[in-house]
Amino acid sequence: MEAEKRIALSKHEHKPLQVNPIKHSQPMGAALAFYGIRNSLPLMHASQGCASYTKVFFTRHFNEPIPMYNTSVSDITAVLDGGDYSILMSIENITKKNKFKPEIIGLHTTGLTETKGDDVRSVGEHIELPYCYVNTPDFEGGMESGWALAAKALIEQHTRPSSQIKPNKIVILPHVSMQPIEIEKIKAFCESFGFETYALPDLSTSMDGFFGEQQGKLGQGAIGIDEIRGLGESAVVVSVGTSMKKAAEALLEKNAAIKHLHFDHLMGQDKSDNFVAELMSIREIDPSPAIKRWRGRLQDAMLDTHFLIGSSKFVVTGEPDMCVGICELLQSVGGSIEAVVATVYSPILEEIEADTVFVGDLEDAKKHFKNADLVISNFHAERILHMEVQSHAELVLRGFPNYEELGNQLKSDQLYEGSTYFLFEVANKLQKVKHHG
Amino acid sequence: MVSRAKIKELMNESACSHSKDKKPAEGCNMPKPGLAAGGCAFDGAQISLFPYADAVHLVHGPQTCLGASWETRETLSSYEGRDHTVMGFTTGITTNDVIFGGDKRLEDSVDFIVSEYAPEAIFVYSTCVTALVGDDIDMTCSLGSERHGVPIVPVHAPGFVGGKNLGSRLAGEAVLEHLIGTKEPEETTPYDINLIGDYNVTGDMWQYLPLFEKIGIRVLSSLSGDGRVGSIRTAHRAKLNVIVCAKSLITLCRKMQEQYDIPWISVSFYGKRDTAFAIREIVKALGDEQLIARAEEVLREEEEKLEARLKPYKEIFAGKKAVLNTGGNKSWSIASGLQDLGIEVVATSIRKATADDVEKAREYLGPEGVLMKTPASQQSKVIDETGADILLAGGRSLYTAIKKKISFIDVNQEKKVSYGGFEGLLNLAEDLNYAFNNPVFANVSKPAPWKGK
Ligand code: SF4
Repeated sequence: MEAEKRIALSKHEHKPLQVNPIKHSQPMGAALAFYGIRNSLPLMHASQGCASYTKVFFTRHFNEPIPMYNTSVSDITAVLDGGDYSILMSIENITKKNKFKPEIIGLHTTGLTETKGDDVRSVGEHIELPYCYVNTPDFEGGMESGWALAAKALIEQHTRPSSQIKPNKIVILPHVSMQPIEIEKIKAFCESFGFETYALPDLSTSMDGFFGEQQGKLGQGAIGIDEIRGLGESAVVVSVGTSMKKAAEALLEKNAAIKHLHFDHLMGQDKSDNFVAELMSIREIDPSPAIKRWRGRLQDAMLDTHFLIGSSKFVVTGEPDMCVGICELLQSVGGSIEAVVATVYSPILEEIEADTVFVGDLEDAKKHFKNADLVISNFHAERILHMEVQSHAELVLRGFPNYEELGNQLKSDQLYEGSTYFLFEVANKLQKVKHHG
Repeated sequence: MVSRAKIKELMNESACSHSKDKKPAEGCNMPKPGLAAGGCAFDGAQISLFPYADAVHLVHGPQTCLGASWETRETLSSYEGRDHTVMGFTTGITTNDVIFGGDKRLEDSVDFIVSEYAPEAIFVYSTCVTALVGDDIDMTCSLGSERHGVPIVPVHAPGFVGGKNLGSRLAGEAVLEHLIGTKEPEETTPYDINLIGDYNVTGDMWQYLPLFEKIGIRVLSSLSGDGRVGSIRTAHRAKLNVIVCAKSLITLCRKMQEQYDIPWISVSFYGKRDTAFAIREIVKALGDEQLIARAEEVLREEEEKLEARLKPYKEIFAGKKAVLNTGGNKSWSIASGLQDLGIEVVATSIRKATADDVEKAREYLGPEGVLMKTPASQQSKVIDETGADILLAGGRSLYTAIKKKISFIDVNQEKKVSYGGFEGLLNLAEDLNYAFNNPVFANVSKPAPWKGK
């Protein structure tokens, strides 16, 4: 990289446009969060196009029917209406047409409705159903922040303040890049310590690839409005990912007695150890035999894969909270991170120890591909890596979107068990690269 | 900017079957709050223009407009230069641009693209936010064109003006205003046509273009499947405009008739009968006796060849019945293909269909055929009553097929192969054959052990 100028990590853009973007919008993140709430109606305050793109995007990524509604803002209502009319009429029309009664309306705004300055808070007074609003202009932030803002809004607007604590109640706040199965695994992990466990949002029963009669007309998440109301009695809140810290803080506002545990991620031995240590000390019990066994398997995997991974260079792209976990796990077995290209700025990016870390797109990432043995990126990297750069490097698909592989919602990279599988997946791919070479 | 008057004109296009049963002022463009579904005008405009692989398509807007949609279209291109259709370009405006305007960012982006990618043209799409804050895209584009000497075409189809159909019309307007007639073709023949509205999805065009070639029909330009900016600029010299399954571009063709005296016809290339019919219509419109004779000769040969290849399938499919639940022109075009393969189509959906589509569906299915207005609730009963063997529908209907223990094909899924022309019919036959033979549907319909008897 001598000749080329390095792009520095900054909150400011380094060029006027994005070419082959990896960033996804805030309203899309908020929509996904509402899919993770039981019987929710994800309602995008927008023109139809934003909702349509979102629906198509998640349908292709998850291979699932996606519930997605919009307030059909037109150029005329954009000028005449402060938002109340379209929102109220939409809720009426949608519920009438579909003959359903959602348990909560998840209204999220877009660039258009933020630009026209709609007051989406006060309209709630006229809505008979439980209503949650979140401001998610798509000219700010990204998918990760949209998801986090929705989680925070649900807590702020619906969780009852409390001074009581249920000593065995825990709530996990997972960042947006976690797959449905990962949320389920983390919950099961906590349950094995005797916790009554919740996750917010909880996609484990929503985008998890499940064949049944459910038509996907409303959010199918595993947490409902009643449970969200009662989260103030949790003994512990665990935020996973820097983006989720604020949502955890919002919960502490409801009950200062809640213990807050924060993890930047839950990948690799160190973070899993810390997590286990915390759960052990709270519950004053030993982990299950299965957890202990998995720690040993992870260590074995680290030793088995360290040679391949330790002699390889990686480029990682995606949402900050996902990148940081992947980098740390790879580095724990000696992997060198050539570059991290993130979707948006996050303070956690400052802590990644890599040659280059910056906010950019795949046009930028491409410049680093030629130095990589393996790239961890989304579906779009495939063509660029293999057709444009003509690299022999392998690709491990992570993050949004993944249109290529089936079943990615059932792939876990978290904790001892998931990290073990992740290391093997990476090492097996590297095997091919090295043989090529 | 996009004017209300222009939109009204486009929406009231007399050639559009949508407008027949609506009051003039209504057009197609008044969504009830909450019930507008499907892509926006910007989406429609992109679909219409995006296949120009030699142009860069720059989306001037915030992240949602492009972030989720680039590299998702199976519109194939044979362009040998850098194929821009698999790339995404967006100004990705931020709060600052909303407050102070995004003109400077757009200008810088145009300069960046010209210097890094040197495209034949740039299409600049306005979107809701940049239209609302009033960025002067026309100005930035025309100054950019002057500065760089390449066409930079503003496309004013922000999402909030309407749906895909309107967007496609607005895209047609942009092409007519800025590109068509700006260059002379190197040569012309009496058999030059423009193909309008085929986007070459999964190579649809390539299924019938070989027939054109054998007959001697020359495609001067395409809007926009496997198209080139250089050739659409010469489109005014064609002898005929051929609209392929795209009512939205009728306005463009009518205007080209007025301005350049080019007649137009509307055809489709689904199934054997439609393809043969389309070719006959084209040569008839070109009006050359020799060409007509040649077309008949080629069609006879090709149909014979096709029949021979379809024969084994027809034997397998004999007596099979299908229920079709999909939207738009697929409601009759796939029906037509199925019938060409000897499958009886007992029902099709006419939900949200235009008057034309309903008429066509009736024509194809005959008086006995069931035209389903509310397919979601009707199809289960129709399957029982008709004893259908297969359901072709969107993913949401899979459960119905499994419950009824019949085969299923997801026709709304992004397809990987073309069902168009003569060749495409064989692809459809192949897919059907797999679906009929696959035991998966029967296996998945088995009850769980805990479900009792
Ligand atoms: S509706 Fe407007 S903001 Fe949304 S995708 Fe379409 S053009 Fe973009």
